[in-house]
Amino acid sequence: MDVESNYEIDRTANYIFSRKFTRVALQFPDELLKDATKVVRALRQKLRALVECDEKSNREGREAGLFVMADTTYGSCCVDEVGASHINAECVIHYGHTCLSPTSTLPAFFVFGKASISVSNCAETIGEFASSHDKPVLILFGLEYAHAMQDIQETLVAETSKLWRSTSKPNILYAEVLCSTKDPLKDHMIPNGQAEIVGGHKANGKCNAEGETGAGIRYCIGGLTWILLNGYRIEDFLLFWIGPDNSAFTNVVLRFNGCEIVRYDAAEKCLVTDLSQQKRILKRRYYLVEKAKDANIIGILVGTLGVAGYLPMIYQMKELITRAGKKAYTLVMGRPNPAKLANFPECDIFVFVSCEQTALLDSKEFLAPVITPFEAMLAFSRGSQWTGAYTMEFGSLINLPFESQVYSNEARFSFFQGGYVEEQDEKDKSDDQEEVSALAVATEKTLQVRNKSPNFLVKGTAKSGAEYLAARSYQGLGAHDDDSLPMPFLIGRTGKASGYEDEKR
Amino acid sequence: MVKFTAEELRRIMDYKHNIRNMSVIAHVDHGKSTLTDSLVAAAGIIAQEVAGDVRMTDTRADEAERGITIKSTGISLYYEMSDEALKNYKGDRQGNEYLINLIDSPGHVDFSSEVTAALRITDGALVVVDCVEGVCVQTETVLRQALGERIRPVLTVNKMDRCFLELQVDGEEAYQTFQRVIENANVIMATYEDPLLGDCQVYPEKGTVAFSAGLHGWAFTLTNFAKMYASKFGVDEAKMMERLWGENFFDPATKKWTTKNTGSPTCKRGFVQFCYEPIKQIIKTCMNDQKDKLWPMLQKLGVTMKSDEKDLMGKALMKRVMQTWLPASNALLEMMIFHLPSPSKAQKYRVENLYEGPLDDPYANAIRNCDPEGPLMLYVSKMIPASDKGRFFAFGRVFSGRVSTGMKVRIMGPNYVPGEKKDLYVKSVQRTVIWMGKKQETVEDVPCGNTVAMVGLDQFITKNATLTNEKEVDAHPIRAMKFSVSPVVRVAVQCKVASDLPKLVEGLKRLAKSDPMVVCTMEESGEHIIAGAGELHLEICLKDLQEDFMGGAEIIKSDPVVSFRETVLERSCRTVMSKSPNKHNRLYMEARPMEDGLAEAIDDGRIGPRDDPKVRSKILSEEFGWDKDLAKKIWCFGPETTGPNMVVDMCKGVQYLNEIKDSVVAGFQWASKEGPLAEENMRGICFEVCDVVLHADAIHRGGGQVIPTARRVIYAAQLTAKPRLLEPVYLVEIQAPEQALGGIYSVLNQKRGHVFEEMQRPGTPLYNIKAYLPVIESFGFSGTLRAATSGQAFPQCVFDHWDMMSSDPLEPGSQAAALVTDIRKRKGLKEQMTPLSEYEDKL
Repeated sequence: MDVESNYEIDRTANYIFSRKFTRVALQFPDELLKDATKVVRALRQKLRALVECDEKSNREGREAGLFVMADTTYGSCCVDEVGASHINAECVIHYGHTCLSPTSTLPAFFVFGKASISVSNCAETIGEFASSHDKPVLILFGLEYAHAMQDIQETLVAETSKLWRSTSKPNILYAEVLCSTKDPLKDHMIPNGQAEIVGGHKANGKCNAEGETGAGIRYCIGGLTWILLNGYRIEDFLLFWIGPDNSAFTNVVLRFNGCEIVRYDAAEKCLVTDLSQQKRILKRRYYLVEKAKDANIIGILVGTLGVAGYLPMIYQMKELITRAGKKAYTLVMGRPNPAKLANFPECDIFVFVSCEQTALLDSKEFLAPVITPFEAMLAFSRGSQWTGAYTMEFGSLINLPFESQVYSNEARFSFFQGGYVEEQDEKDKSDDQEEVSALAVATEKTLQVRNKSPNFLVKGTAKSGAEYLAARSYQGLGAHDDDSLPMPFLIGRTGKASGYEDEKR
Repeated sequence: MVKFTAEELRRIMDYKHNIRNMSVIAHVDHGKSTLTDSLVAAAGIIAQEVAGDVRMTDTRADEAERGITIKSTGISLYYEMSDEALKNYKGDRQGNEYLINLIDSPGHVDFSSEVTAALRITDGALVVVDCVEGVCVQTETVLRQALGERIRPVLTVNKMDRCFLELQVDGEEAYQTFQRVIENANVIMATYEDPLLGDCQVYPEKGTVAFSAGLHGWAFTLTNFAKMYASKFGVDEAKMMERLWGENFFDPATKKWTTKNTGSPTCKRGFVQFCYEPIKQIIKTCMNDQKDKLWPMLQKLGVTMKSDEKDLMGKALMKRVMQTWLPASNALLEMMIFHLPSPSKAQKYRVENLYEGPLDDPYANAIRNCDPEGPLMLYVSKMIPASDKGRFFAFGRVFSGRVSTGMKVRIMGPNYVPGEKKDLYVKSVQRTVIWMGKKQETVEDVPCGNTVAMVGLDQFITKNATLTNEKEVDAHPIRAMKFSVSPVVRVAVQCKVASDLPKLVEGLKRLAKSDPMVVCTMEESGEHIIAGAGELHLEICLKDLQEDFMGGAEIIKSDPVVSFRETVLERSCRTVMSKSPNKHNRLYMEARPMEDGLAEAIDDGRIGPRDDPKVRSKILSEEFGWDKDLAKKIWCFGPETTGPNMVVDMCKGVQYLNEIKDSVVAGFQWASKEGPLAEENMRGICFEVCDVVLHADAIHRGGGQVIPTARRVIYAAQLTAKPRLLEPVYLVEIQAPEQALGGIYSVLNQKRGHVFEEMQRPGTPLYNIKAYLPVIESFGFSGTLRAATSGQAFPQCVFDHWDMMSSDPLEPGSQAAALVTDIRKRKGLKEQMTPLSEYEDKL
């Protein structure tokens, strides 16, 4: 497929031109970076043409500056607003796979790309699938197949009318692409309406969408949206996913874990019904939630600097964790990897605040498990229980109440320690006597810890970073010199870590 | 039955010298429960208003169905001694009324944790032994446990009726059998002798052995007969007792006692002549319905029958006559009262076993003196499901002080460390309750020396805890119980409907509470695991879970699974090296198997992270041949810092080594928990750090670089040292007649088991077989065995040791490799093991 149509040069140029952006950042994921030059060239040409065309109507036109951004700090599915603001960009054109998370400062334009798909085969498969089941079918798809949906829909309609003779038409519902642009300013102005559309399922439910006659519930996930009329539940539908087995699909499976889901693999042209792997993920997440309940020290990993609401979410997490009597540390480290996380062995668990499609980080390589904010909410608010509902995106979690209504004063039962474990009681802290002697107790404790077991580190026993440090056998270079006179400063080594300049000789 | 009000019962509880707390222990099917029944029928305390309404021993439906006891049940008995009977009693007493708190415990080995819990709160034990089968496996196990807890035993040779009716052995033969049974029991008791407990062997002539027929409700001790004959012969009762046992013979013709059989046909052993023969005669007369002969005989014995009982015939008549003549309750209760210690007596020597803290602090003293005015020390030994769903009574024993309704108590859980706040709660007791039969009665308070149930603490106690007064912050807890069985069989459970998950979680929590042994955990894959001692134990647990604790919600259970261990066969074939992610640090390691017995020594806690290094190096050098200096270079144990694997520093002159120690330790804890084969725990591996190359700059050798590298190099070291799987192995004991042996052998062979001991039980046609059987093969073993031996063989399995599987898990197609694949599949891992090349780096 040629660059022009695949990268939607026309539409992009129009968007830039109509909004009169002068500095535009083009964000490419690693796998599309090779096409970047072609895209820029084509886009520049197009823009120039538009400007020339416009000059005739006597308007001051200035050529827009195009900047290519690569190697995104966090997931390449999110808009890298921080990167864009380095060049004072006015908007971001995002290429490739995206999670369509709302942006916080910059408007963004998304180009999904167009993956090839056999329309006839796909439509046929859907038809067969729908006819072999009684339940209505909901079609969901990867955004890279959005371009083909119209065709598929039409083919299918033609085919079904042939097959069923209009008496018992299969009930097929299609999801739609939400929009291919994001505008933070506009989004914020619409109250209560489509502002929160991405991801979450509307709590208050009913919203009259355009073109719909009856009231229904609007569902949004990963840039797709659809409306269920009243009286239907999502569990009544069979979900049909067109696309590869990627994080977007996993997101759908986890979110609608009560539904039956099949996947049509466009590359292989086959239907995949075995989703045990995805179901396993859900159970594994449940395990991690239980594990998190036992954690004392929690690291909050900042996994995005773009998705709207990330800051409130981090604050909320902090408050949640402190309320649960645990210690939270916020860490910004770009994309987490095992080596980076292992630099914080004192953390028993990490909460990863990021967009919904990069949220699942589960690898055996990590020293401590990484969970999502939703899971953290389950784990750290007392009395809450997991009932199967799941969401990976944090927008809908903001401002949820911490404590559930059903509050019992029973101690928490830990499945890892096989018994009740104490929960730091807030009542304890308010105890007057305690407070007075708190300092003394704390001092005594640190002294004790060091004397009793000088090299005794058990993961998950320390209550704070300081306590963990006290239990370490090596606590870093001694900075306890009594000699507090200022020292003359020395020039350190220079060069790369693999061999400093003074080492080479 | 004795009808009482709560106030009356409460009154006796204050007489600490007149209380006996005792458990009934025995091998399965030796008649504990039947014997207990007959005691309860005679002396059980029930509430006045429900008298005659309920049967005391009527407990779980499945217990009746299977004919075995599953949960231990406590019953209080009341017995009033006559002044005459007490004239020889030397100990302290307050009046003639006695309160006996009796706990009937299960005999099946799968439930021996219940026995452990029962023993903790009692001071004496009635050991029941079948007179024909003799001392069996479980008899020995429970006896050993009892003596470990400093519980004084008395013995009863049960099922006497079998001698008279079934086997019809003559007196001398019967005597020999009894003598052997008692001797066997004494051998065990002598093995575990304890200077503080003193001589705890049992002697019929001292009255510490009873002879009973639980089914027919009669029993006697030699005291009964001695009393009878003492007046007749005009000799001292004690002297008479001695003559009734051992090498004492009487010839009625000459009316002389001798210490040898004179050979005259009328000369018989004292026991046979005066105890066995009269009983035999009475039984025979009854069974033959020779009533004209019977009545004069009974009159002579001073037994009067009621008129309606005189119409009974045969067995019923015999039962009635024997019960009237030698009531089981009198003989057994008097034996207990005479020979088992009162709480105040027992706690003097038990305090050492019980209390963790210093033995001279006020708490130890209060326990020692059984001081009702001292600080409260109460041990909760088990949780009993209450009638309102989901709640539990905390059941335990007051060792000192008193516990009362509404009192605020400090709850010290099993993980409590004095001076810290971990596992510590201060809550108030809503009600203190005592059991009167099946009914619970609330009482104001319960003083020390008694058992008690408490309401309102169940949300803070999982299985057991120590309770003390709110202000007694210095008290140490009472030592945790040590179980003789371990939970090696596991099943994964999940609910059929996903939304039932909260129910399942709640159910598991309750299950964990209701059983002293069961462990409810979770796998990495998110499955809930129930672990129990054996198949039967798990079966009962699952049934309880579904029916009682989850309100019948449906659950899916997996096949039973067994956890394995990963180990190595020999030293790594080469020193392996791994580089850190930044390639600037290199760790060199080797793995080697630990010396025989070292892993067990670590398990038992003889060697551990908290040892004094000097003591440790002494043990290591003397017992395991370690170099003395090397023993000081152990960095850590793992997994969980106490496990049976270790890291030893073998480096010489490495810079910054102290800096990375913590990181290597962290990596080791992680790796030893999930080995490279199937992510099972490691066992018995010693990792030697051979050399370390570190970057000169501290920032490049931080935890992030070293921890993952340590893990990788440990895996590489293990994989190059011929890794092997260890499987858990049961010790199986089977008792069966000779003709069943063939069947037993073939079943054992088929299940990869092997017999290592086969012994005929002297004087019986029974054989005792000891064998090792892999736990994984034990599922359905009991059933197969029963089928193959037409129900004559009944196995008892206890976890014994870990056994190395000889096949190589790295070789495709081997048995171990298949196992590894299975485990990995179950855990949801990649089926292929990660190859060595992923862990080892080249220079």
